[in-house]
Amino acid sequence: MRQRARRIECASVNAATLCRSASVAVVSVVLACSLAACGGGDAAGTFTPRIPGTLSVATAEVPDPGFWLGTVRHPSGGFEYELARAMATHFGLAKVRVSVVPFADLVAGKLGGADLAISDITVTSARAEHVSFSSPYLDAPPAILVRPGLQVPDVNTAEGLRWAVQQGTTLQSALEQTIRPSSAPLLVHHQREALHALRSGRVDAVMLDLPVALAYARESPQTYSVAAQLPSEAVLAAALPKGSENLEAVDSALRALNADGTIERLGREWLHTDVSEDAIEQVPALRTEE
Amino acid sequence: MTPVHAFGPLASIVELSSPKGAPWEFLVIFAVLLLGPVVIERARVPGIVGLLLGGYVIGPHGLGVIGSGNTTVPDLGQLGLLYLMFVAGVELDLNLLRRHLRAAVTFGLMTFALPMLFGTIVGVTLGWEAAAAILLGSLLASHTLITYPTVRDAGLASDPSVATVVGSTVLTDTLTLVVLAAVAGSVGGGRSTLDVAVQVTVGLTVLIVFSLGVLPVLGAWAFRVFGAERSVRYVVAITAFLAAATVAELFGIEGIVGAFFAGLALNRLVPNEGQLMDRISFFGGAVFIPVFLVSVGLILNPAVIAEPETLGFAGLFIVACLGGKLIAATVSARLLGFSRPQAALLFSLSAAQAAATLAATVVGFQLGLFSSAVVNAVLLLIFVSVLVSTITATRAVRGFTARERVPLPLGARVVVGVGDAALARAALSIAVRVARADGGVVHPVLVLGQAGPAAPKTARERLASAAAAAGVDGAISTIVDRSVLSGAVHAGVAAEATLVVVADPGGGFPTAAVAAVERDVADADIPPVALVRGQAATRLGVVRTLPNGAGENSATLATELARRLARGSTHQLEDVGSDWSSLLAPGDVTFVPAGAGEELSAIPADAPGIIITTLSEGVSHQAGRA
Repeated sequence: MRQRARRIECASVNAATLCRSASVAVVSVVLACSLAACGGGDAAGTFTPRIPGTLSVATAEVPDPGFWLGTVRHPSGGFEYELARAMATHFGLAKVRVSVVPFADLVAGKLGGADLAISDITVTSARAEHVSFSSPYLDAPPAILVRPGLQVPDVNTAEGLRWAVQQGTTLQSALEQTIRPSSAPLLVHHQREALHALRSGRVDAVMLDLPVALAYARESPQTYSVAAQLPSEAVLAAALPKGSENLEAVDSALRALNADGTIERLGREWLHTDVSEDAIEQVPALRTEE
Repeated sequence: MTPVHAFGPLASIVELSSPKGAPWEFLVIFAVLLLGPVVIERARVPGIVGLLLGGYVIGPHGLGVIGSGNTTVPDLGQLGLLYLMFVAGVELDLNLLRRHLRAAVTFGLMTFALPMLFGTIVGVTLGWEAAAAILLGSLLASHTLITYPTVRDAGLASDPSVATVVGSTVLTDTLTLVVLAAVAGSVGGGRSTLDVAVQVTVGLTVLIVFSLGVLPVLGAWAFRVFGAERSVRYVVAITAFLAAATVAELFGIEGIVGAFFAGLALNRLVPNEGQLMDRISFFGGAVFIPVFLVSVGLILNPAVIAEPETLGFAGLFIVACLGGKLIAATVSARLLGFSRPQAALLFSLSAAQAAATLAATVVGFQLGLFSSAVVNAVLLLIFVSVLVSTITATRAVRGFTARERVPLPLGARVVVGVGDAALARAALSIAVRVARADGGVVHPVLVLGQAGPAAPKTARERLASAAAAAGVDGAISTIVDRSVLSGAVHAGVAAEATLVVVADPGGGFPTAAVAAVERDVADADIPPVALVRGQAATRLGVVRTLPNGAGENSATLATELARRLARGSTHQLEDVGSDWSSLLAPGDVTFVPAGAGEELSAIPADAPGIIITTLSEGVSHQAGRA
């Protein structure tokens, strides 16, 4: 009887030891697999540049007042250029290499070998089929840029104006769908052509992204004025080649630059405006309904 | 706006617009709040998972109804996050921490330190930067008392092991948020470690002074002034945590730290069973916190979850977190002399990760320290930890026998019976002091005579006003009975009160009346009863006790109440027959035995001071266990 009891006791001790060993083995396997799966990935995502030590950035136009200053070979500042530099610093990259690629190519996913494109690109689902968008860095509802003194309180007034807009952009869609101008708008390939048309009196209004319009109005208050903004949730974001493995790292970098106030500071410095929502809300909204 | 032609031949006349704008977004969110938990709970999965999945379904990685540029849901989610941390602070039982300080500190430090260490080691091993590794450690170190309701409903709320975990939560959450504040302060700006340390120290000092020094005073004042206005009390609470969050952010500390401290600050003013807490829990549970969870679900990305990297992160987080919590529970249980079921409770209550973990993760994401792979891995950790916690809590509760279950403390649920609101102030103020000492709640009961009330609405309003002035937060009810004592005791039995306080109209109650009440409720446990008469005072003076010959239970009850009311020691008077009533001064409290009826009746109704008589014959009271 005593022997049997001892045997049962031994069996239960063995079972407990076995159970403990099995638990340790399972935990060890989980740890090993997990470590292997992680592969030393960074907490904020890993950025691998195409050219070692260099962040390659594509943009559609240099100079682009407020956003890109100087020349392609020697950029001297601007919101988006400085944003690119801040991202490079965040990734520990020493250089920023800038290339100019037509806007239509950028949104079609042809970045000309750059790591990413930063070029006033509004996020749309159609474009997202060709590129991977980062998290947004700027709110950019469409805005109406006019010569000082012209009031555009509602859509009826806007409808009767002569318009210019860059072809193939979300701004063209906004103009055609929301304003529906009574005369055909002047479609241009570059922003500067639209602004020239406005200055020369060929058109009464130009449709631009709000931060861009605000930058022009701040730079030349005698020439331009922002009359209104259209209700929209449009945002500007960086575009990466479709499926890029750098997307996580770029997203994290933009969040970090937003959290530490860098983006707000760049907005004040180069766009001469507070890019926070409060500043954007100060521009009157275009009344679309009675 | 895109027109939708949906009426065939009427298409040229009727134009429908595709749904968009705020009403559409709110409709989608509320549909998720409604359906998410209901659907998922059918599969016996916690509702929190349904909200997270619902967020995914409507989010940019799902149907895309809420796009990546949307600001409404994240803004609402931010408010929900602050609300969540405020609730975490306000519902903690600080009295349990005070009573089980040594055990709570021992376990709190251990259950914080081990997962913190393991998490940091995981981060460092993976080659993460220091801030990210430390933040990972801290988010694994906190815990959320998700399974507390299961344990409380099993009658184990006062078990030392449960009290230890609840008390330790104050420590772990505070430490987690302090680490978060330090990490957030150190990210970006290129400042030196010393600058960051000074900034965080100054910020936390100002925040603590504001939250724990200024807010309770302002809150008490606001509750006193606007006490009767229920909605205003709620708005005061919301304003308080938003103010603390704003103060925190002024110093670069995350708002959730301020919201949590605001919760701790208002903890004593908002008893867990009170009406205000009910309202805070209601709005939090119905809207704000679920919206936060939905906003987190927007980040959820099955494509990312399925990636080996995410699963690898999740595996490491789960082992580091649950391993650390398990070791902490096992070692602490041995050090504190807890049984195996108690050790199991320590683990099950501290294993669940939700509030502070999610909050710290979201902040880490917003700061750019964590990628969405890390966030999705943490969501997997939360899911597994909640599951493990639920299963182990259910099993641990079964390990307790009925005898091991400890009853609630004396002040946990106090019912105050009032016949005339004009005489209620002293009883209400005494009840509030006793309840506050135990983190309990006071429920005033208006007792109307069987002959029919003259003006019940007016009497109720007067009682509501007196209750608000005394800082009472419980629900006021009305009962019709043959006497105030009878009504109060019956209401107390019905509410499972831990103490019944009766506003004595003067002269105490005849022994026959007490006996009749005891007969009426012979089958139920009668709670201890204290008869209170006299004038309420803002500050209590001397607390005296007269020799109580009425029975051991009454004497023990009197001693317990005196201990809770007196800041220092109590004065024991020698002789019942002495002219003790002449000693009464405004604010003085004297406990007299029920047998001192003649002396009591000799004291004029407007005499200064408060006189309390305790009745606790043949009842099962819990006075000695507080």
